[in-house]
Amino acid sequence: MEKDIKRVSLPEIAATFFLIGATGFGGGMAIVALIERRCVQEKKWLGYDEFMHGLAFGQILGPFSLNTSIFVGYYLRGTLGGIMAAAAFIAPSFLLVSALSLLYFRFHEVAELKSALLGSNPIVIALIVVAGIGMARRKAAGLESATVAAIAFAASALFGVSALTVLVLAGCWGLWKGWRKGRLS
Amino acid sequence: MAGILKLALVFLKIGVVFFGGGYVLIPLLHRIMVDQLHWLTLKEFLDGVALSQLTPGPLAMLATFAGYKMAGFPGALVATLCIFFPGTLLMLFISSRYQRFRRVDAVNHFLDGILPAVVGLVFAAAFTLGRTSLASARDFLLLGVGFLVLQFTAIAPMAVILGAAVVGLLLQFS
Repeated sequence: MEKDIKRVSLPEIAATFFLIGATGFGGGMAIVALIERRCVQEKKWLGYDEFMHGLAFGQILGPFSLNTSIFVGYYLRGTLGGIMAAAAFIAPSFLLVSALSLLYFRFHEVAELKSALLGSNPIVIALIVVAGIGMARRKAAGLESATVAAIAFAASALFGVSALTVLVLAGCWGLWKGWRKGRLS
Repeated sequence: MAGILKLALVFLKIGVVFFGGGYVLIPLLHRIMVDQLHWLTLKEFLDGVALSQLTPGPLAMLATFAGYKMAGFPGALVATLCIFFPGTLLMLFISSRYQRFRRVDAVNHFLDGILPAVVGLVFAAAFTLGRTSLASARDFLLLGVGFLVLQFTAIAPMAVILGAAVVGLLLQFS
C-alpha cells in the first residue's frame, strides 16, 4: 500500500534545503534536527517512520546530514528531488567556506566567528534534545522500545559503539520480534 | 589539468571510504592531506577543521578548504563535488530501494527495530556535543532558554540559532 506523498515542487525543495544549509550550525545531528522540524513537523512532507529510517540509512556512507536531505528529496520527487535537495543544502556552506578559504590563505587567520559559535552551540544542543523528545514520544514509548533506546544511547554516548553497529543490532531485534509475533499468531 | 584530476581522484577515494559520517573524517583527512600528500601543513589542517566547524553545514566542507588551497575556486568546487559524490549516489540508490522493499515483511520488522535505536542515537549526539561544548553557567542558561523556546513556541529554529550567534558576537563570548 502506497502512502499518499505530498506534491511538492522542486523550487520549494530547493528553497527549504538552502535555508537549512545556511543555518545548519553544529553539523550532523543538529542539521538533522532542523530537517525534522521543517519537513516533518511544520510541512508534514513525510511521517516520523520514514524520516527516522532515512536518518538511519544516512549513517552508512558519508555525512549523514546530507544523506538525510537526499532521502527527503528523493521521497518527495525521486532522483531529481534528491539531487536538488543535496545541491541546495551544500550550496550555502560551499560559498561560505570558499570565501573564508580565500581570506584564510591570503591572511592566514581564521575569521572571528568563535564567539558566534559559542552563542549558538547550546541552542544547537537544545534543538537536538527537542527533536529527540518528539521522536521518543512517538517511537520509543513502550517499555521494550524505551529500553532499546536507552541501550542505544549508552552504547553510542558512553561506550563509543559505532552508529552502524547499533542500528544493525536494533534491526536484528526487530526481526526477532517480528518472528516471535508471527509464531504466536 | 593534471592537478585538478589528481584532486578529484583523491577526494572521490575519500568519499568512498568515509563510513559513519562526521568525526571519522578528521583522522582520515589528517592522514591523507597532511602525512601522505603534504597538501596542508598541520596548522592549516587544524585551522581548516575549525573553519568547517564554525560555518554551517557538514564537517566534510573541509574538502572545500583543502581544494581551495590546491587549486583555488575550481579546486574547491571539484573537491566538494567529489567527496560528496559516492555517498550521494549510494543514498539515492538506497532511497529508491526503500520505497520498494518496504512491502516485504522482514524488511519492515528490521526497520521497526531501528526506530527506537535512532531515538537513542539522537540523544547520544546531544550528549556528546554537550560534553565538549557546555562549560559555564552561561552555556547551561542558553541551553535552558533555547529548550523552552524551541519546545513551547513556534519561533523558527533558524531564527533562534542565528539570534544566539548574534548574541555571542555582540557580547564577545570567549
